[in-house]
Amino acid sequence: MLKPGIKKPGIAINASRCMACYACFMACKDEHCGWDTALSKSQPQLGQYWMNIVEWERGDNERHIKTATVPTPCSHCESPACMKAAKDGAVYKRPDGIVIIDPEKAKGQKQIVDACPIKAVFWNEELQLPQKCTMCAELLDDPDYPGFEPRCVEACPNQALVFGDLADPDSEISKLIAANRVTPLEGIGPGSNVVHLNVPTCFIAGTVAYPEELDEVCIGARVVATCECGTVYETVTNWAGDFEFEDLPKNKKFTVDITYEGYKPARYEVTTDTDHYVGIVYLVPEA
Amino acid sequence: MAKERITHSVGVGGPMAIHTVDGVIRRIRPVVLDETDPAGWVIKARGREYTPQRKVTMSLLGYCERDKTYAYDRIKYPMIREDFVETPDGKNRNTENRGKSGYRRATWDEALSLAAREIRRLQKTYGKETITACTSSHHSWGLVGYKISAFNRFFSMLGYTRIMDNPDSWEGFHWGAPHTYGYYWRLGGPEPFDMLEEGLKHVETLIMWSHDPDTTRGGYSAQESALWRWWMKELGIQFIYIDPFNNFSSVKHADKWIAPRMGTDSAILEAIAYVWITEGTYDKEYVAKHGHRFEEWKNHILGLGPDGTAKTPKWAEEISLVKAMDIKAIARRWASTKTAGGSGMRGGFGGACRTVGGSDYARLLVSLLAMQGMGKTGNNMWTGTCGGPMNYNFWFGGYSDPLSSIAKAPVCDHPAVNSVAQTLYRTNLPDAILDGHYEWYGEGFCGGGIDFEFTRHVYPMPGYNKVHCFWRYGGSFIGTMLDTNKWVKMYKSPELEFVVNQDIYFTPETRHADLILPACSNLERIDIGEVGNSGNGGYCSHSQTGNSWQIVVYQDKAIEPLWDSRSDYWIFAQMAERLGFGEEFTEGRDEEAWAKRFWQFSDLPKYMSWEDFKKKGYYIPPVSYKKENVDPKTGLIENWDRYPGFKWFAEGRACDTPNHKDFQEECKLGTFTGKFEFVSESMLYWAPSDEIRTPIASYKDAWEGHTTLLADKYPYGMISPHPRFDYHTHYQQHAVWLWEIPENRVIINGNPYLICRINPKTAEKKGIKDGDVVRLFNDRGSVLCVARVTRRVYPETIHVYTSSGIYNPVNYGEYMSVDKGGSINVLTPGRLMGDYIPAMVPNSCNIDVEKADPDPNYGQGFEHILHAVDKQQLETPRPLKTSAQAELVFGENDIRKEAV
Repeated sequence: MLKPGIKKPGIAINASRCMACYACFMACKDEHCGWDTALSKSQPQLGQYWMNIVEWERGDNERHIKTATVPTPCSHCESPACMKAAKDGAVYKRPDGIVIIDPEKAKGQKQIVDACPIKAVFWNEELQLPQKCTMCAELLDDPDYPGFEPRCVEACPNQALVFGDLADPDSEISKLIAANRVTPLEGIGPGSNVVHLNVPTCFIAGTVAYPEELDEVCIGARVVATCECGTVYETVTNWAGDFEFEDLPKNKKFTVDITYEGYKPARYEVTTDTDHYVGIVYLVPEA
Repeated sequence: MAKERITHSVGVGGPMAIHTVDGVIRRIRPVVLDETDPAGWVIKARGREYTPQRKVTMSLLGYCERDKTYAYDRIKYPMIREDFVETPDGKNRNTENRGKSGYRRATWDEALSLAAREIRRLQKTYGKETITACTSSHHSWGLVGYKISAFNRFFSMLGYTRIMDNPDSWEGFHWGAPHTYGYYWRLGGPEPFDMLEEGLKHVETLIMWSHDPDTTRGGYSAQESALWRWWMKELGIQFIYIDPFNNFSSVKHADKWIAPRMGTDSAILEAIAYVWITEGTYDKEYVAKHGHRFEEWKNHILGLGPDGTAKTPKWAEEISLVKAMDIKAIARRWASTKTAGGSGMRGGFGGACRTVGGSDYARLLVSLLAMQGMGKTGNNMWTGTCGGPMNYNFWFGGYSDPLSSIAKAPVCDHPAVNSVAQTLYRTNLPDAILDGHYEWYGEGFCGGGIDFEFTRHVYPMPGYNKVHCFWRYGGSFIGTMLDTNKWVKMYKSPELEFVVNQDIYFTPETRHADLILPACSNLERIDIGEVGNSGNGGYCSHSQTGNSWQIVVYQDKAIEPLWDSRSDYWIFAQMAERLGFGEEFTEGRDEEAWAKRFWQFSDLPKYMSWEDFKKKGYYIPPVSYKKENVDPKTGLIENWDRYPGFKWFAEGRACDTPNHKDFQEECKLGTFTGKFEFVSESMLYWAPSDEIRTPIASYKDAWEGHTTLLADKYPYGMISPHPRFDYHTHYQQHAVWLWEIPENRVIINGNPYLICRINPKTAEKKGIKDGDVVRLFNDRGSVLCVARVTRRVYPETIHVYTSSGIYNPVNYGEYMSVDKGGSINVLTPGRLMGDYIPAMVPNSCNIDVEKADPDPNYGQGFEHILHAVDKQQLETPRPLKTSAQAELVFGENDIRKEAV
């Protein structure tokens, strides 16, 4: 029995809020290492990351560097690839959507690990068992457990992980999802119980400055980025002379035009194959 | 669900609720608030309302506590070095093998009797001063067990040569800032009281100088302030991060990141002042009223002083490699908007103050904050960590409170007073032991006054003998103290006739002891403590304002002590008994009885009985007890007693902050003149010839840095800030889950190599790829790490987190061995900041890097020692095999009846 009234328990992962503090990662280990539960065997001390945090560095210049850190547990897919790969019903989807690997039936079925498109299933060599996140369903099912959220969500200090009822359009989680950019994961398909929000795509950034010998940034320069797809993005340089276009469509050609009164316009061609900093653009006075 | 028992505790990772099943820890969650806990506060700012989540946070370290409790490297039994010989004269004890030798298991009786015999012999031969003892900070939490309590009581009663701590986390602020703005009683740090509200309401720019709040977490406030900074981002407050490493907060929050070359921050500060002075954008009225000798300082900045150098942004660019245009932009943003700023952890910490120029850096940062009217609306010394609303009318002691020790009245009936005046200084303990003589200035912690910085100490003190016994308690300085190989060498010295290590874990220092006493963890004994409270009358008071909820915890015993470990209190009580002062030491109290004394002398009894407190496990005071302060609509507390830091000074009224001195009520600072001293009168009085900390604070080339000859040989500046994935050395070796965080360690051939960060240009030059094992080295030693190739450092800098916790020499027990544990302080200089400044400076460190091979030997080098002792356990029948049986002889309830 799930806690009162939740029909489709889900986790929304707001990647723009994640600081990679690893509290969720450790809380998951704390719950699942060393103890069998009703739904899973113990996770080994080392080697499995049911709450995996995918991290990458963004930017090609020290002057503008960011990181993307995206908690990526099992998505609890609408039609799970692991379930299709499993024999004898070793993987099943509960009526509430949570996907469970049966720790008895799944013994020896390594193909369940290989089937997962986001590598969220791990192989336990000792037990010859595929293992993964249960969304702490064994806790949420338990009327005696004094808590209402999966351990990772409870641990998150940044509200990057939000738990709630996806079936209820008025729940906090549904409202959060509606108000943010949903990032579908490669190969997962719609309808999963885990929903990723605001996973970064690409930025184009730069700095505009007056002629180099002046050692002065240029505040208020107009910067226009035009995508080959026709979309136009516009901004002005801030107090530091910096500009940034964030979360642009990936793998598109962009033209970046920089203009400031009294100076020659500058133009850059940039492709959003990755995150780019176009450099310090030193303005040249008009003749 | 199996029947679970829930008890509570607290550590540096936050407040814990511990679920146990049949005496085994099942899981550790944060303390869970219930309906009997009070409503939270609400801050109304810029049209929004901010209230904390109705849950408390733990950092990742809190979630590691179970892993750590059952760790592979727990000390299971009392142990005696296998080649230790109890010679009657203390000589010929094979001391050169310390760090290398194995151990044999001993009974508690054997171990404690040996310690008592040795202490008696040494005291008889050399006097009381021959024993010295030292503790780490924060390897445990709770007012009974903490170092200033039980340890202090035992050793003060015994009489010993005390080892002074240095303020290792914030050296420059401690030794520098008081000369500019006082606050020596806060050890140089600011007073961030009620600054969160100020920040949310008024601040437009935050200067995060050498500051990584998401990593240092307000000291020990878990992730409580993480949400506050998201609120500030949401309000559009601009975050400026200044740090050679694009740290974990910066890389997520920075609107601007600049990276000074290591140890050159002061040049940037001076250049910012230059911009303000030349453009007239500082608060002239404020400076005229509250500044002392500003004109002379101004002349120094403009190049009209003795050095004749104008401190222009271009001048600073050449030193720091930060572009002049960026310095100017930051200077103008700072001057034109309401700006709060500071350095590290609580505003007066950070890596920059742990460089050779760290004291002048701290003074310059304070000077600049003063130039913009510190204490006026929106302008203050604050960095988005401490300063949450707090109920200052509710008193419970913190660990540094004079009233919060079982060594002191009124908690005890018979206060313990140390009869030995001789002292040693922690950073240079190895020098004192190895050379037999050491001199230094200063009291280590100078909370008593600026003059405390200049007391002269000589070891051995005239008329005293040297120390010959070292009793080490909790944690490891091999890992945190600099030029670590010195410590390895010290332990091999025959001058130390007897070395005891009392700890929970087999740490790098434990392995150098003759006698090892296994202490149990916090979760295996009773204690009492408040989350994040460093003391409400002691140093850096009211640090629990780093939390959104104020939580006093009854630290119940969750499980029985594991193996043959015992509580530190039990160990001290047993020793006291054997040395003839058992009854004096315990006063007939067990740990629970002591814990109850802290309850009794706090405000808790007004709100919760002892029995209810024990049963519930914690108490949360509301931020205000007054009913009229509750918003009837939301039920949240919208009003409380506020004492915003520094506002009293700017407003020219008597100081009302919760931690103030009498003279502040006359609206004065704690400097000689009561003003911001731009030329320091205290420096002119005490040490006018100090070349490091000059009367006018300024950038000076360091004795180790990019301008020294050493830079030709070792061209990279190494920054080693406080670790994100550890607390001092207290987690890394024990909690193996931490090894799987890719930004922390990479396991190769069974060894968890620490990550070091190098720029792609450095990597290319040295033929290093991301993930390669590399050797970081200089004349002081070598450390193997795994390279992370990243643009989060510039080419001139290499970043590695300090205090690795793991020291894993390739040649086990050898002086100067290559370390594969990541104990990076092997490389840092042991030299103190200056002749008059006994500060350590880990961030003034030049190194080189090269590609290396991983060590072919598998795993942790010390494990064979523990395995051998475990094997003895199986092979040798012992009269005292289990804790339960041991109880009969050393029963905790029968301490005083037990025969000596």
